[in-house]
Amino acid sequence: MGKEKKVLSGEKYVFSNDSQKIEILEAAFDYRGDVTLELVQGQTIEGYLFNRQLTKAPFFVEMLLPGEESARRIPIEEICAVTFSGKDPADGKSYEAWKAKKEKERREEAKKIESEMKQAGLLD
Amino acid sequence: MALTFFLFFFILLFTMVPLSQVWTVASYVIGKKLKGVKRYPLVLMLEPLFRCNLACAGCGKIQYPDHILNRRLTPEQCWAAAEECGAPIVSIAGGEPLVHKEIDRIVEGLIRMKRYIYLCSNALLLKKRLDLFKPSKYLTFSIHLDGLKEEHDESVCREGVYETAVEGIKEAVKRGFRVTINSTLFDGANPERVRAFFDEAMRLGIEGIMVSPGYSYQKAPDQEHFLQRNKTKELFKQILKDRKKSWKFNLSPLFLEFLQGNIEYDCTPWGNPTYNVFGWQKPCYLLQDGYAKSFKELMESTPWEKYGFRSGNPKCANCMVHSGYEATAVNDTFGSWRGFAKTVKATLSL
Repeated sequence: MGKEKKVLSGEKYVFSNDSQKIEILEAAFDYRGDVTLELVQGQTIEGYLFNRQLTKAPFFVEMLLPGEESARRIPIEEICAVTFSGKDPADGKSYEAWKAKKEKERREEAKKIESEMKQAGLLD
Repeated sequence: MALTFFLFFFILLFTMVPLSQVWTVASYVIGKKLKGVKRYPLVLMLEPLFRCNLACAGCGKIQYPDHILNRRLTPEQCWAAAEECGAPIVSIAGGEPLVHKEIDRIVEGLIRMKRYIYLCSNALLLKKRLDLFKPSKYLTFSIHLDGLKEEHDESVCREGVYETAVEGIKEAVKRGFRVTINSTLFDGANPERVRAFFDEAMRLGIEGIMVSPGYSYQKAPDQEHFLQRNKTKELFKQILKDRKKSWKFNLSPLFLEFLQGNIEYDCTPWGNPTYNVFGWQKPCYLLQDGYAKSFKELMESTPWEKYGFRSGNPKCANCMVHSGYEATAVNDTFGSWRGFAKTVKATLSL
């Protein structure tokens, strides 16, 4: 994954080296949806990755899991893959819907005014 | 003697907030200065939840999965954070604090601790929840209003919000609560409309106005309307020219000078430390570069030199938000007689 590529929900990354692992975990920290970590022992953990320490020892990520009150700290050497499993709530879709609604209303208002002006003989 | 005179004169400058609040803040800051404390917090930004009943275009605070939005800080966690941090002012933000079922207990406890609280709310629930609170010099409702009806409803992406907020403000003022408004301005703001909005806001009987340019949150839905630094200065120059006597600001005079480009400041990211369901946020209220378990860890482990306008950090390049610069302005006022004189001059020129 290059820096220029935006992470999309649903993507899975199996680490091939340490620098890629750091890069993907940093992207997971930046991601506003849940992620699923695959651990080397075969276990999976799904939750929100809200903190990380990737540049100095001890190297770890921290997650909040649904239904668990306390955060879990996971050493990064135990992680072998990350899936961006949850939808991204920061994808701007609700705002796009609001903008589209306002745009539709403005177009309808313009049409209404145009029609009234025509009826009043002020527009051809 | 000189110190007493200094404090007394400063109090005279800021009569829009209770004298006890001015005294508390002034003596706190001067106490830190006398002890030689280089970095100290001024306002605790407390986010007891991220859940909000609005989804504003310029907000990057609330985009989380449901299980995160459903989390709450307990009153005990909030009080412990206030104790640990020690800042004389606590701004309760979020999310929408009035959605929190124990917000009244949180506020009561902070009042017992004699903290001056700014409860930031969009006021959609204010009228309904007002009975939970008692008027106090320690409690101010800081209501989010970004402009007149058209601009505000556009900013919060829902119609009718302005009217509901105004009703809530009127009711709170009528019942004797301290009320301010907080406004965030974005690119495209019309200075004349903003001035008309200030007139309208003051007519509601509020104590004062807080105004700030919006921070360009990477996670905010609308990425097109954040102000660049030069545009911010130009906009505030136009808004604040021939400032009306009726406008009262809950901001320091030097911060207003900074917004107009009359003073250059760097950010004080530790001035408004932020505590939320993840812990102590590094480095500031607006950026999320990680979390610390304690306030002490936040202060000692954050590489502060990597943040602020002068650091060259691109995330800080266009930020002129009060959460970063108000503390700088206050520090300037108390840092030297020259800074204090600047404050007097800026105040007298209002």
